[in-house]
Amino acid sequence: METFELKLAHRDGRLAVLEVAGYINNEAGEAIADTAATLLSEGHRVLILDLAGTRIINSIGISMLLEVLEKVIEVKGTLAFCCLSPSIAKTFQIMGLAQYAKIFPDRAQALAALSVES
Amino acid sequence: MADGCRRRIVLPREPHAELAAVPLVDLLGERLGFSRDTLAEIKLALVEACLNALEYGQGEVEVEVVAHADAPARLEITVTDHGAGFDVSIVPQPDLTAKLHASRKRGWGIELMRHLMDEVEVHSTPGLTRVRLVRKRKEA
Repeated sequence: METFELKLAHRDGRLAVLEVAGYINNEAGEAIADTAATLLSEGHRVLILDLAGTRIINSIGISMLLEVLEKVIEVKGTLAFCCLSPSIAKTFQIMGLAQYAKIFPDRAQALAALSVES
Repeated sequence: MADGCRRRIVLPREPHAELAAVPLVDLLGERLGFSRDTLAEIKLALVEACLNALEYGQGEVEVEVVAHADAPARLEITVTDHGAGFDVSIVPQPDLTAKLHASRKRGWGIELMRHLMDEVEVHSTPGLTRVRLVRKRKEA
């Protein structure tokens, strides 16, 4: 099993990028939610989750990501995902996540689009 | 059918047990020539079925993966548990907007299985729940 790792890879003004690697289950989802809550409390309003290192996610992990999304929406911020594996991209598409979160093919495109917003 | 096309595992009662059967999908799916991306989708569906069985079942949770090489080539997965059972017909279809405003944001498992697999059958009675998942290989 891929070991879960979470890293604050970039922060610039209101924008922050979290690199997520490994299996996103309940524990990993909680870790992401806790870190996201801290970033929001520090004033960041644009969060990018880079899932390049994640190949599998379960529905409990997904529910934790929805907790993050709810909190971001509450502060009128933006949640974005990038570097999704095809199966995770399909999962998000099934859920209709693009209604509320932005999805980019890679981090460079996410930063280019969202740095303006931040 | 040759025994090499059928694998069974009893999930251990330990953290990440829902992943224990994932290697069987890789093993048999690769033999059938499934693409890596399709196998990834099958594994997501399998994990959801195992999570439900581990959470709501009792006793042993058994997973069987069968590779059918005859046309249409397909992987068939059966997850069996011995919990109280449930009526799949009353499981609500999740709605993202509603979930975002709800305290409980879970409830995506069956919906994901239905979209990621070609067939999903749930037979559930008190003491025996069997979820059968089938994914066919796309012909070139």
